[in-house]
Parts: sequence; C-alpha cells; structure tokens
Amino acid sequence: MLRVAIETHNLTKIFKSKVRSLEPRSSIFKRKEPKTVIAVDHLNLEIKRGELFGLLGPNGAGKTTLVKILCTLLPPDEGNAYVNGFDVIREQMNVKRSLGTLFSVGERGVFWRLNGYRNLEFFSAIYNVPRHKRHERIMEVLDSVGLKDNAFELYQKYSGGMKRKLALARALLPDPPILLLDEPTSGLDVMSSRKLREFIRNNLSRKAGKTVLYTTHYVEEASQICDRIGILNKGKLIACDTPDAIKGIMKKGEVVDVRVRAITDAQIEAIKTMDGVVGMASEVEDSVLGQWRLRLHLESIDSLPMVLDFFFKEKIRLIDFRREEPTLEDAFIKLTGTGLG
Amino acid sequence: MFQEAEKIYYFIKRDIVSFSTYKTNMVLMVLSALFGALSYAYLGSNASMQSVLQMYNMSLTAYLLIGMAFNTYIGQSLSLVQRTINPWSLEEVLVSPTSLGIFIIGSSAWGFIWSTVVVAIYLAVGSLAFGVVFNVNLAGTVLVLALGIGTLIGFSMIGAGILILTKQGDPITWLIGILTSVFGNVLFPPQVMPYQLQIISYFVPQYYFFTCIRLMMMGWSIQMILPEILILILMCAIMLPLGYLVYSWCLRTARKSGTLSWF
Repeated sequence: MLRVAIETHNLTKIFKSKVRSLEPRSSIFKRKEPKTVIAVDHLNLEIKRGELFGLLGPNGAGKTTLVKILCTLLPPDEGNAYVNGFDVIREQMNVKRSLGTLFSVGERGVFWRLNGYRNLEFFSAIYNVPRHKRHERIMEVLDSVGLKDNAFELYQKYSGGMKRKLALARALLPDPPILLLDEPTSGLDVMSSRKLREFIRNNLSRKAGKTVLYTTHYVEEASQICDRIGILNKGKLIACDTPDAIKGIMKKGEVVDVRVRAITDAQIEAIKTMDGVVGMASEVEDSVLGQWRLRLHLESIDSLPMVLDFFFKEKIRLIDFRREEPTLEDAFIKLTGTGLG
Repeated sequence: MFQEAEKIYYFIKRDIVSFSTYKTNMVLMVLSALFGALSYAYLGSNASMQSVLQMYNMSLTAYLLIGMAFNTYIGQSLSLVQRTINPWSLEEVLVSPTSLGIFIIGSSAWGFIWSTVVVAIYLAVGSLAFGVVFNVNLAGTVLVLALGIGTLIGFSMIGAGILILTKQGDPITWLIGILTSVFGNVLFPPQVMPYQLQIISYFVPQYYFFTCIRLMMMGWSIQMILPEILILILMCAIMLPLGYLVYSWCLRTARKSGTLSWF
C-alpha cells in the first residue's frame, strides 16, 4: 500500500476572466478588462495515508480550487496531482473511486423532495455501491452521522446541521479511503460544528483510518483536530507542520493586543509598514464607538514604544493594550502579514 | 402624495435597470410574443387549413391531437436535457464514477416515460371522446420518435453548453421552441403560410417529425414517406453527435476556467 495518499508537484491553476471596468460609462454597457488570478501557485504537498490534514487559509487562498483539482473537477494548468497513487488527469475514474468529497456548498445535487434515505439510495447507485449492500450501507452511514432516526424525513425539513450531515453521509457512502472535506462546518452552529469535528477526528480518522483533507478558515478548528496543518495564502503553501510546531514559529516574537478609537485605514496601513512590526490583523470591535482591535506582531517588545508614540502623534485614542500568548492564528498573521478575515 | 408616487417611480426604475441587464432575455420575450401571435393567427384561419388537411387525409381534431400529444416529447427533449445537465447538479455527478452519457440518459428517462403517459391520455381522449380512429404503425412511430428526440436532444445539448458558458439565457432552446410553434407543423400545416415562410419549415426538424408521426399514426408505411424519414435520419446523425461534442467542449472549457458552478 502506498505511504502517501495525496501528493501534488508544482500544481498550478490560473483563472483568466474578464471583469467589468469600474470606470463609469453607461449603466448597461461597460468595458470588460482581462484579469488573471493564480489560485494555486506551484503547490507541493504530501498527505500521508491515514492522516487528518488541515488546509488553512483565508477566503480566496485557493483551498476550494485545490479540492476541485484533486476530485477531478478542475484540470490544473501546470504540475501534477495524485490521489491514492492515481493521476487526476489520466486516471480520473480511479481517482473518483478513491474519493468521497464534501463541497463547501453542500446542498447542490440533493433532492429536496426526497427523504434522506432515498437521496442516499440514489447516490449509492451512482457511486457503484453493490445493490445487495445498499440498504445496510445507507443505514450504517446514516447511523454514523447521527441521522438514522431522521432517515425517512423529507430533506427540505432538515435543519442546516442535518443537511450538512447528510452531505457528509453521501461522501462516506462508497466507503472511500480518502475524504476531501471542504469547509465541512460552514453554516453550522457552535455545538453542531464541535460534534461534526469530533466525529471526523474520532470516527473517520482514528477509528476508520481514513485520510482526510480538511479545509477551513477557522484556526481553532484546524488546531483542535488535525495531525498536520498546511497554511495556504494566495495559492502558495507558506507553512506545513503540526499545530504545535506552527505555533512555535511565534516563540521569537511578541503578540500585543491593542484597542484604539479614531483610527483610519491609512493609519492602519502605516503601522503595518513600521520597522519592528512583523504583521498585524485588524477588526472593528464597535462600529458605533469607532473602536478597533489590533493584533500586533512585533519582532520584540522593544518595538512597542514606537507604535504607541505613533498613536500619540496621530491623535489615535488608545483604550488598552496587553501582551498575549501566541495562538495558531498569530502564526498565520506572522506568516502572511495579515489576518484570516 | 408626491413622495409615494416617487417611491413607485423608483420601484419601476429599479426593475427596468435590472431587466435591462438581461438583454438577450428581453429580445427573446418580445420575439416570443410576435411568434406566438403569428402561430395562433394561422391556427384561426380555419378555412384555408381545411383544404390543406385533406392532403393529410385527417380531421382537424386528429391533426391537433397528434400535434399536441407528440409536442410533449419535443418539449421534453428540449427542456429536460437542458434542465438536468445544468451546473447545479453537475458537480456532484462529475465527481462520481458515473459517465456523462449515463447521467444524461438517466436524468432524462423519467421525463420521457411521463411524456408517454401524457401522449396516451391525449390519444385516448381523442379516440373515446371525439371518435378519432388511429391505425398506428408502431415500428414506424417508434423510429420517428427516436429520430425526432435524438435530433432535438442534440439541439438541447448545444443550448445547455451555451448556458454553462454564458450563465445567461439559452438562445438555441428558445429558437427551436419558436420554430416549433410557427414552422413545426404542430398547430397548423406550414402550407397555409405564404410560400416564403413555408420554405423555412423545410429546414426545421420538427416539420419532418410531425409530418412523419401523423402519417405513422394513421397507418402509413415507412416506405411511403421515405424521403422525409431519410431527412430526419440525416438531421439526427448530424445533430446528436454535434450536440454531444459542443456540450463536452463547453463543459471542458467551463471546468478549465473554473466557472462550472458560477451562477
């Protein structure tokens, strides 16, 4: 058996499109200009068999594009990708037989006027589950995701969490050795997310020994359940290690959490470019008060007085500031220079 | 009062601006109205139609019944394939170990089964309530049906391909629908139209389909209408593979550009 379940070599995907010019002309007829986006940029990745691998990155980092290449939906422009040892271009059927895929938009392709059982019955046929095993397999996966009691309820009456579970059940139906789970907890409440994460880690990864590629833009999700994490930013893999090792990237620096009021976008950008500031994430904490939370990543604590001096000179009102223990999100900010938002 | 009127004005303005962004759709709607009026005007010109129907050797009731009944097949061929191979359900199927051909056949099958039930209802009502006598050439009917459906599925696949690429209106399906209503020999024989318009009918597959299917339902043999059958075979032989090629190309292009699920 192959040691590696998923591997990519210099994998690249470029999207070319035409976008409407922002230049105001007529409201109906607007000029279109060519735009090129490198969604996946010479990506080299190796995911071991049985590993729960988290792919972390902000929206637009290239996570979904990578999932779509791996499940043969998108052809790459350069490089190669192998799933279960099969080439995603030349051996598509073998790749499809090796995979269960859960897309970030999970409700597509599901039949709203069928119940959960009938939906899975249809998918079990198109995923080549042997006829004599179908009923048993459907009940097994429904039970494993906690939907056995709702099997014969109409899909349209399912809650958001139940719909997501059914999408996962569909991915599990053919009992594939490899699972691609693209933002599986998106749209779920906190409790449902936690239960789903525990199920993926305990049942799919630990008990069943499946290889899981788990994409998310929630740092805590990735750090809680994944064996290893890859950080993807603008299509490039900028770090790949265990959650603890990635947090270790922060050991040399300092993290300071600052609350300020009356700060402008230009001033935020100016702070980012200051000497000694490695990266900074910013978010509006209270729009009524105009209060911002800045998470500063400094080379050392010696850089802090310079930042505070800038606040004073620019008449930015400082509410409070404190040193913090670095988290995985801080590692992300340090690596990318920006936050996940 | 003025303030309320202004609100209504802005509702209208919002809708006009929004509507104007669907330019193809706008043109298609206007043309649909024109063609619809044209087809019903010819249907109403009963006097000239009766004489033409004598050529087909059937009553207006039988003519219309067969036209309406088998038009459901044409409608299914056009819309069902286009509807089922849409980007909403495509991704889920494309990641499964199921071929595109099986998906198209499987997705369309129920529509055609249901159409058969609808045809049976039409014909039963015609026979029982209006005393229309059918003398069906079953083999010929099945052959014509297969050729007609095959040809129109070809057009439908081109339309679906365009829809996948443009994400907007599909002019092919619309055009075929319009051509069916006016030039397709569904509600009135094209011979009641001026000669210049009749010529268009001879380039429309539905004209041959409805001509052949009516005669098959009245017991004619395939040999008696061989030229029309041969034209249908030719159209099917061109359109079905062409439709599949165009659809596959559009699908490949959308996959390459990553726009398959953009809607």
